[in-house]
Amino acid sequence: MEFTALFVAVTVAMLVAWLGARPVALLLFAAVLAASIATYLHHATDVLNLSF
Amino acid sequence: MTRPLAVTLNALGLYAIAFVLAAAFAAQLALHELPCPLCMLQRIQFAMLAIGPMLNIRYGPRPSYYAASLLAAIVGAAFSMRQILLHIVPGDPGYGSAIFGYHYYTWAFLGFSSAIVLLALMLLFDRQFEAHDVRDQNRPGASARVAAWLVIGLAALNIVSTALECGFDACADNPVEYELLKLQR
Repeated sequence: MEFTALFVAVTVAMLVAWLGARPVALLLFAAVLAASIATYLHHATDVLNLSF
Repeated sequence: MTRPLAVTLNALGLYAIAFVLAAAFAAQLALHELPCPLCMLQRIQFAMLAIGPMLNIRYGPRPSYYAASLLAAIVGAAFSMRQILLHIVPGDPGYGSAIFGYHYYTWAFLGFSSAIVLLALMLLFDRQFEAHDVRDQNRPGASARVAAWLVIGLAALNIVSTALECGFDACADNPVEYELLKLQR
């Protein structure tokens, strides 16, 4: 679910960069980047089922 | 490097990003291999790479727009490197199929690394950033507009694909079927 939300956010950021206001686009870019890193760090602590 | 040349190169960059996103989709559909959570994070970073070139085309090149893409490329390289390291032990088959000898995440790492180098090279050319008359700022050309809408369309398709794959729950670590389609059966 969080990945769908991230794709929605990055698509909105792209639409704003192409059609909307520049400061809003950069703000959205920063927010999506931070959310991506937070999602990565959240999953990085998952227990890994290694294949060996 | 002149401003028009820089804008053209940025449009070419958008086509390169569209190619990567389309190739990932083609592999997903042709090989029936669903992207894992880390794979999706890498796709998101490829899409994020496109925001800098879009701003460069629309408003004229600025170092801050290149810096935004550079940040996305560095984060994407870190994500793909993490996935390479997860499968680095000898005997581990890796995640998904290998294409031309490398797995998706290895190709992604090469892609993000190339983006970092290319963005740094673009930043070497100061003439593109020189002050210009705002009235000289033309509307983006047809090819740049096509490139931008191609990337936006591919990102939107990823919304649909991810929603189908993950449904309303957390995405599976090793997805094998589309959760939303399973609910309909």
